[in-house]
Amino acid sequence: MRPLVPFFLLALPLLAQHSDTALTNPFNAPEDRRRGGEFYRSQCANCHGMDGKGGASGPNLATASLRHAPTEEAMFRVITKGIAGTSMPGFSMNGREIWQIVAYVRSLNVSRSATAARGDAKAGEQLFTALRCATCHTDRAPDLRGIGQRLTDAELQLALLDPSAAVAPEYWIWQATTTSGQTIKGSRLNEDTFSVQILDSAGRLRGLAKTEIERQTLERRSPMPSFRDKLTGRQLQDLLAYLVQ
Amino acid sequence: MKPLLLLIATAALAQVTPERLLRAGEEPANWLTYHGSYASLHHSGLRQITPANAAQLELKWVFQAQSLEKFETTPLVVDGVMYLTEAPNTVIALDPATGREFWMYEHKNPEVTYPCCGKINRGLAIRGNTLFMGTLDGKLIALDAATGRLRWETTVVDFRKGYALTHAPLIIKDKVLIGTAGGELGIRGFLAAYDSQTGKEIWKFKTIPEPGEPGNQTWGGDSWKHGGGPIWLTGSYDPALNLTYWGVGNPGPDWNPKVRPGDNLYTSSAIALDADTGKLKWHFQFTPHDEWDWDAVQTPVLVDREWKGQPRKLLLWANRNGFFYVIDRATGEFLQGTPFVKQDWAKGLDAKGRPIRVEGRGPSPQGSRTYPGVQGGTNWFAPSYHPGTGLFYLNVWDDYSSLYFSWDQEFEQGKWYAGGGVKADVQSTRRDRIARRHPDSGYGAVRALNPLTGAKVWEYKTTDVSDGGVLTTASNLLFTGTREGHFFALDAKTGQLLWRKYLGGQMVASPITYEVGGRQMISIAVGHSLFTFGLRE
Repeated sequence: MRPLVPFFLLALPLLAQHSDTALTNPFNAPEDRRRGGEFYRSQCANCHGMDGKGGASGPNLATASLRHAPTEEAMFRVITKGIAGTSMPGFSMNGREIWQIVAYVRSLNVSRSATAARGDAKAGEQLFTALRCATCHTDRAPDLRGIGQRLTDAELQLALLDPSAAVAPEYWIWQATTTSGQTIKGSRLNEDTFSVQILDSAGRLRGLAKTEIERQTLERRSPMPSFRDKLTGRQLQDLLAYLVQ
Repeated sequence: MKPLLLLIATAALAQVTPERLLRAGEEPANWLTYHGSYASLHHSGLRQITPANAAQLELKWVFQAQSLEKFETTPLVVDGVMYLTEAPNTVIALDPATGREFWMYEHKNPEVTYPCCGKINRGLAIRGNTLFMGTLDGKLIALDAATGRLRWETTVVDFRKGYALTHAPLIIKDKVLIGTAGGELGIRGFLAAYDSQTGKEIWKFKTIPEPGEPGNQTWGGDSWKHGGGPIWLTGSYDPALNLTYWGVGNPGPDWNPKVRPGDNLYTSSAIALDADTGKLKWHFQFTPHDEWDWDAVQTPVLVDREWKGQPRKLLLWANRNGFFYVIDRATGEFLQGTPFVKQDWAKGLDAKGRPIRVEGRGPSPQGSRTYPGVQGGTNWFAPSYHPGTGLFYLNVWDDYSSLYFSWDQEFEQGKWYAGGGVKADVQSTRRDRIARRHPDSGYGAVRALNPLTGAKVWEYKTTDVSDGGVLTTASNLLFTGTREGHFFALDAKTGQLLWRKYLGGQMVASPITYEVGGRQMISIAVGHSLFTFGLRE
């Protein structure tokens, strides 16, 4: 039994490490973010873009949902050590500098739209129901949960007023005629040289060999109606406030 | 009896003499160098697998890497043993018939090293019974090929200054040649030769001349000090000329060229060095004053062929800048240059091969669109030359552009020094399983070129692009694959698809072929595994 005691005592601090004690950024003042912005421009913007929205080598950082950096501590780790299997290297900077970059990158996160929204979220919720937005947006249209963390206020406005202006490729309207004369409509989920993966208009996931397809088209148009002349300026702000909250 | 057994065992050990390396192409059962031979043809004389039976190819074994880094290795096969590297710097010896490991050696890198684009390694060199590998922390190491034990280790460069060794070394006579990556970190590149027995440096060629040396005048002010010029892909060797050929990478900062006025020699160039002394015999700069990060880090392909009625020693080079070049490799004389993909940065090449630039195509603060995009019309992944068909085969990225941005940036040691950035519809490497390509953002293709004219003979189009090399065989097969995860065989004469297998990961390496137990095998690293195929038994 004797060995059990020290093991038990040892286990306590280990367990504590797994409790909710994630490190938070100690360098998050406006001056830190400004300095972080300078480091970002010299060290990160080559791949992630000056605006943080991604480039040829690096993904969009102006979002709250970063796959490899869900927390500030994780982002610190990613910057110091890189990400295995990707082009993301580890960086030779001191801890303070890296925290300052973390502060800057977090400030790119467009969830700030939520605080910038000036409308009445409660009124926006009523509008959301009245306009029956959920009919599509709980099904195949883009998932609006956390949308304020993915799109800026301006991008959300554009999506409401001119939905076809910037449609993500997964929502393009895909249509094909098969060699047997069948017409299939849906969304293109994935594609390679030999096949295409579809969510068809009947809600079925289908993998089609390109040898079965005689002709396929992609339309970058959104089936969502424009609300340009259907909402007052105030209503638009209310709806935005609800969406980003 | 014991001493006799020992003697037999010793005699059976691989002894890859310099003479064997000179004739590596005549030993198709083996794959003795990174590029398959000194001429770097990525071509094999094996004929068991043919266009008629390629459909019977089946998986023989899989080696699963433990590393999640990109798997860019091209293995060696030497007398019944396969040697490969697993990222970042692990060496494995295994049985090429079964995939079972004999030994592994793990080089411990410090936690932070400075490769620009992933903690990767592309392969090994062998001489005698010794394997050689460059490491991310700037070391060249020599291992006993039978035991995997370290024989010696030498420091090539201080990696903390932004350097990394990623390519397979090249053996020439008693020397091991290796260059250094770091073109985005303000390095000053070089190629160095080491004594294969002791690890002692014999010569070093700096890719950027210092004041007083010819070529330094092509760098404004002190810009030569941090001008890049990395070497991160294995070169070639012509024993008759005793010249070794290497591609030099981009100048730095990549996208802010105004701080380095001039041609910036010898960046984005081919260099031919005396193999004994490292002295420059000639150079050819593909992209003077490169503004787009178009490293000339491609495989130098050496071909002896009639050129306009005269036998000539040619150097074939499909460059990242979108032009396919034919150069006299004895003299460096430019013979021909033709675009092989859509490009809009040069009106053409002049009589000496210098590009006639289109104004306004360089990077700008607001972004300038230029064809080809930042990864170029092709890149470092290997092309192949087939002496039988006389064609040059490569993976191309066509009808593809990037937006190039520039901005001011001060140099800081060990930090990124690129002076700009790039946006493109096509990602530089595969990031997601999901691929929804824009139909108007270009395409990939395996393409066969007639090297005498630069004209396309056939192409096999793919939806996504490829980061993989090409292998051809004497039986007129071509093996390659795509970023999508497909590995396939084409008829080298026609481009017709003969066989394919979906392997599910990106291919960032070159296929090889070898023979074991009388059976021809094909190996390729895809995703995080090395797959080996042979004919159904």
